[in-house]
Amino acid sequence: MNKEIKTVAVLGASGTIGSLTGGILAQNGVQVYFLSRSREGSQKGLNRAVKQARSEVVARFITCGDYESLFEKACGQADWILECVTEDMAVKKQMYEKVDAVRRPDSIVSSTTSSLPLEELPKGRSESFCANFLSTHFYNPPARMLACELTGQTKTDPAVVNFMHEFLEKKLRRVVIPVKPAAAFAGNRVAFLLFACITELVERFGVEMMDYLIGPYTGRLMAPLATIDLVGLDIHKAIIQNLKNYTQDAMYDKLVVPAYIEKMLAAGRLGNKTRNNGGFYKKLESGQFLYYDSASGDYIQGYGPHIQFVERARNLIHLGRYNEAFQEILNAAGTEAEIVREILATYIAYSYMLIGEVTDEKYGIEGIDRVMAAGFHWACPSLLVNMLGGNERAAELIQSAGLAVPRALRTDTTWKKYYFNAGKYFIAG
Amino acid sequence: MAPDVYILGGFQTDFARNWAREKKHISAMIREVYEGSIAVTKIEPKDIRAAFVGNFAAELYCMQAHLGAFFVELDPVFKGLPTCRYEAACASGGVAALSAMAHIQAGVYDVIAVIGVEQMKTVDAVRGGDFLGIAAWYERECAGVEFPFPKLFGRLGDEYDRRFGVKAEHLARIAEINYSNARRNPNAQTRDWYMSFDHACGAGQYNPAIVGRIKATDCSQITDGAAIVYLASEKFAAEYARRCGISLDKLPRILGWGHTTAPVEFAAKIQDSQSDPYVLPWTRKAITDAMKRAGLDSCWQLSAIETHDCFTTSEYMAIDHFGLTEPGKSWQAIEQGVIEIGGKLPINPSGGLIGCGHPIGATGVRQLLDAYKQLTGTAGDYQVAGAKCVATLNIGGSATTNVVFIAGI
Repeated sequence: MNKEIKTVAVLGASGTIGSLTGGILAQNGVQVYFLSRSREGSQKGLNRAVKQARSEVVARFITCGDYESLFEKACGQADWILECVTEDMAVKKQMYEKVDAVRRPDSIVSSTTSSLPLEELPKGRSESFCANFLSTHFYNPPARMLACELTGQTKTDPAVVNFMHEFLEKKLRRVVIPVKPAAAFAGNRVAFLLFACITELVERFGVEMMDYLIGPYTGRLMAPLATIDLVGLDIHKAIIQNLKNYTQDAMYDKLVVPAYIEKMLAAGRLGNKTRNNGGFYKKLESGQFLYYDSASGDYIQGYGPHIQFVERARNLIHLGRYNEAFQEILNAAGTEAEIVREILATYIAYSYMLIGEVTDEKYGIEGIDRVMAAGFHWACPSLLVNMLGGNERAAELIQSAGLAVPRALRTDTTWKKYYFNAGKYFIAG
Repeated sequence: MAPDVYILGGFQTDFARNWAREKKHISAMIREVYEGSIAVTKIEPKDIRAAFVGNFAAELYCMQAHLGAFFVELDPVFKGLPTCRYEAACASGGVAALSAMAHIQAGVYDVIAVIGVEQMKTVDAVRGGDFLGIAAWYERECAGVEFPFPKLFGRLGDEYDRRFGVKAEHLARIAEINYSNARRNPNAQTRDWYMSFDHACGAGQYNPAIVGRIKATDCSQITDGAAIVYLASEKFAAEYARRCGISLDKLPRILGWGHTTAPVEFAAKIQDSQSDPYVLPWTRKAITDAMKRAGLDSCWQLSAIETHDCFTTSEYMAIDHFGLTEPGKSWQAIEQGVIEIGGKLPINPSGGLIGCGHPIGATGVRQLLDAYKQLTGTAGDYQVAGAKCVATLNIGGSATTNVVFIAGI
């Protein structure tokens, strides 16, 4: 088995995740080939890697080229071939066929996909390809989001998974989360179910109100609909669809793409990548934001929601009194407070429910905790249990939301630890 | 002989955080660092007899003064507690700790919480740079100067260059070592930043010259952060050790200290030192005073140093002023690997102000906390093996206030 990674070939290096992950490799002294359909595309990726590192020096570790001129040399030399091409089974399989023809038998091949079935991807490839094939799912931007979900498929040599775990952790400073090869792995499985719930509530409460209610004060860097704008509504829909196709659990019915999102997609309102068309938000030249109105399909002015319990909770967070802020949320009356509690309950319940399905049982809640913190900068599920006052209070909250209380939550003691620097997940806005 | 003063541990916030972006009040930082310290040290709040807070300029950065009083907000048990805020520019944390030590030695209090805190990311770099100017003689040295402190510490490099010669690559190596050490420190501001010797040597868009010989990589960071340590009398420390199931001699003590103040203006300091072998004799005196009080004959009796590398030039100065080399030959210790973790006398295993970060008023306390961690074997990946004696140097202004502690077990 390959024991050292000195050279890596990044396929799809013109894209964000390919170039930035390749940049992290270069920052750590690894020689990296940036490959894409054109040399110019790869060069754009290199520029992105330089900007990420804030140093021209990393460019010395990167060689740019296209699939025609450099593929054979790069994939033939590489100790690790990191595939970051478009999320399309046919495209990836075609790429693997070409890789298999030129790679060394001991080189590692990984995909950044978390959505396509991992068993299917290497089918038809050589025995050594399959034994060395796994998924390394990086989060974006990798300079700030350190999570990397790692899993093999049936034919992957466990020694390869172990080797990559150590390399990712020690050399690339990733927070490695061993996951099971279930669709969307752990992080996206949890987060996108939450996003689906929130997009459905937009029809009742509106974009501005939903991002106000489930805003950063509830334990996230960015409000959820703003996050979907960042990800792209097309990607959001694809992930939800993928989860619908390949998962089946007690929360399955919550995996919805409301009709208004289909209309947004048809109108090219994909979020930040279609800035002029907008997404949930539309930024005017003046810097002012308008909000998508799901009923009319137009953009409307904000009205600045002001709800007492939210303001009180935010003020307590401003003062570093995090547990007290969550008591405000727990004890507040009114529909809006019920909505916040329902979302928190869904997040906690779903995370605990997935222990054993997306991560190994032996990790308890900590596997999912780590990916939500290091992949999304969300307060992790067990931290929220702590904030709410313990697993019994969390169980009550979940029951009040009409959800089943996962067995793992009832017996969990993770939440009892002291969460150092946990305040960074709660933003007073 | 003065009674022993023990260090019972403490806590620091994650220096990578931006508390303005988190929309937090500075009291939130005090609260978090305090709550973290209670979780770590298991000190009973009721046992704390006073709280001293080191802070440089919260009036400017946060429109908030009187930070000592905010300790009382942390727990109802603190109502009525004596508190005070201490200010000596970048040595604010150091003088707060000195005062706490003196109060304990005088038998006034048994246990004092010493906090250092600064929130700096509330303003842009130019405005923040102007605020820092008040740590020098503002009217004479800083008014109208965009980045006064890089200029002042650039002049320190110039003086070394004039007397002995200084090579840019030695300063670059200091930066590289501090960033490299910071990668081992989970609370360091730059732990995930890219750095290499070539980057530190280079100049350009991503490593611009700030002023003179000082480039971006030669500078410490603009940092939000707080640190806390508990200082205690022998009587309380013995009881605490018994409660924790450890022997008293495993708890670090302050073995020696030094405290000097030089003329405020940098030019006056340099003028005074023309006939002295050391470029900053008052800094040297604080070090030698501390060594003498600790009963040390030589710097080689130290296991590690946490020094005030506000710029690479100030660490360059600390190397010869601590006695690792003859005056002007700091480059030898750099070239020989003496100051690296694993070297003969590691400097800034934490990453120092360049790597770990420099929340002005917190730095002196953070250094003392790191000394405690080294001495108790709890520094994790940046542990110096077998550390028995650690020195800290915390300076305010252009090496105007100098505070040195030597702690040991």
